[in-house]
This record gives sequence, structure tokens and C-alpha cells, in this order.
Amino acid sequence: MRKFLRENGIGLVFGLLFLLVLVGQAFAGLAQFNDAQRASGLPDIAFWRYVTSASFGVDVAENWQSEYLQFFLFILLTVWLLQKGSPESKSLDKPGRETDQEQKIGPYADADSPKWARVGGWRTAVFSNSLGLVMGLIFVGSWLAQSIAGVAAFNEEQLSEREDPVSWARYLLEADFWNRTLQNWQSELLAVASMAILAIFLRQRGSSQSKPVGSPHHATGVEG
Amino acid sequence: MLGPVRRSAALLILVGALAGCSTVGSREEAAAGVATRLLTAAGAGDGDAACAVLAPATVKTVAEDEPCPEAILGKSLPKPGTVVETSVYGQWAQVKLDDDTIFLAAFPEGWRVVAAGCTPQASRPYDCTVEGD
Repeated sequence: MRKFLRENGIGLVFGLLFLLVLVGQAFAGLAQFNDAQRASGLPDIAFWRYVTSASFGVDVAENWQSEYLQFFLFILLTVWLLQKGSPESKSLDKPGRETDQEQKIGPYADADSPKWARVGGWRTAVFSNSLGLVMGLIFVGSWLAQSIAGVAAFNEEQLSEREDPVSWARYLLEADFWNRTLQNWQSELLAVASMAILAIFLRQRGSSQSKPVGSPHHATGVEG
Repeated sequence: MLGPVRRSAALLILVGALAGCSTVGSREEAAAGVATRLLTAAGAGDGDAACAVLAPATVKTVAEDEPCPEAILGKSLPKPGTVVETSVYGQWAQVKLDDDTIFLAAFPEGWRVVAAGCTPQASRPYDCTVEGD
């Protein structure tokens, strides 16, 4: 048990924090929603009603899609893009998808390489892109969920303001959809750019995301 | 890395959302029923029954100068026509009839009319003869 916790600390701690924060968001969102209800002379709604509402759904999904877009872009673009001195970049002589030998694919696979890296054909092709593919699919799925929950939440507000609801297709052209989307995208892109660049010059002793403290600023693709 | 945890949470939300969606049809029917009840009562001169389906804030506004049952009958609400379209989103509903549009909100006792006698305005909120502040 102790060994399991030690070897899975990152997933467990971040997973637990995620759940705690999601519950916190639900309570804060409920309080805000009920403030608006009272301002309109309407009764409070219950916690369960709020967490199954479009309002909560869109607030959650808009953040999820941008996180997965961030990972998707970062995973994919760092195949080709480099950043001198950054631990987030590969070394400068390795842009691109690299050779089968470097990637330990097919005949170059080790004895303990995953089966789909060894077998070749479509399975190796899929497995070779599986991380980006899954991140991309989750991004598209959560963006779609944002749009579906978003149109329902938007229409609830429309009705409360004595205006007509809009269709899903029309909502995709609404400022609300793009404001929610772009405000999340910009923050994710800023976070990636600043991490890649700040990690050239700054260190965090012992962190897998930092170069060793004594590494020179120009050392690229080195993690501590 | 966080996949299983996030997937479980997503599933939970999806199941919840689907559970919420399953009652949309009946919620629409209930909203249309309340809207029709208001117009039927007003058309029959039954001010008490008409006021019984208004939201509290709407009753307060309607009853500013005279009791609600009398005031509501002076609002010239149209006769109940055919329900053309009902939209329900969260705590709000809109019922479009032949010659009226009615906005309702959800209360513990069911749908209550927040605004009635509403006519559309180009690019602006509906103009309503009956509505709360």
C-alpha cells in the first residue's frame, strides 16, 4: 500500500485535488446561481439540481477543453518545435518524429517495449500517436460538451431576460461561446509559453519539470 | 495520468445531465399547461385563478394599485390559443401561443408565470403587459 502510494503520488494527489476543487467550484457556483435567482425573485435551487445544470456543465467543460487543447498542442507541436535551453524541449538536433531506432519501434523495440510498439503496421502507427490522439479527442469532446451545455445555459439567461432562445448552430456564432472559449485558450497558451521560457533561466531543485540547478542556461532537453 | 479520475467525474456529470434531460418533455407540457391556465382564467373573468399561477414578484407588480384578481383582468390578456412552441431551459420556460408569448420560472409548487402578454421587439427583450420588476 505504502509502495503503491509512493509510486503513484502524482496521479493520486492531483486526482484528489481535482475532486476537492470541483466540489468547491460546485458550491461557489451554486451560491452565485442562487444570488441571481434571488435577484429575479425566484427560489434557491438545490445542490444536486445545480450540479446537473447547464450552467455548471458549461463552466466545467469550458475549462476542461482548454486544458486538453493545451496538452494536445504541446504534445504535438513539440515534435517539431524546439526551445533552446528549455527542459520542455527536445535537444536541438532532434526535431521531427525521429528514427524508428531512436523511438524503439518494430525491430528496434526492446524486450519490455509495449506490444503495439513491436508489432508494426496500423497498431504501431496508432500507438505512436496515441497520446496526442486521445488528448485531441478529449479536447473535441469537451469543446462539444461546452457548446451543448453552453447553449442551454445561454438560453436560460435569454429567457430570464425575456428574449428568444437560440439554436445550437446559432450559439456557435454567439459572443458568449467565443468569449468563454478564447478566454480559456489565451491563459493556457500563456502558461505553456511562460513555462517553456522561464524554465530556461529558473530552476526548481528536484522537480522533474526543471533542469538540475547547476545546469547551464543553454542546456536543452535536460530534466532534473 | 489523471484519466480514470477525470473520466469518472465526466461520466457522473453526463449521467446527471441525462437524468435532468429525461424530464424535459413533461416539464414542457407542465409549462404550457400553466400558461394556458392563466389565459383561460383571465378570459373567463376568474382573477383569483389567474393570479394563482403568477410568480410572487409578478403578483406584487400587478397588484400595485388594486388587488391582483381585479388588476389582472384589466391587462387585456388574449384568449388562450394553440400552443405553438414551448422551450424549457433550466429554471425558465417560454410558451409561444397563437397570439401571446408567456415566460415562466420554476418554483417548488411548479411553473409560475413571470411575464405574459408579451410581444417581440426587434433585437430587444419582449414587451410584456404583465411582468414583475
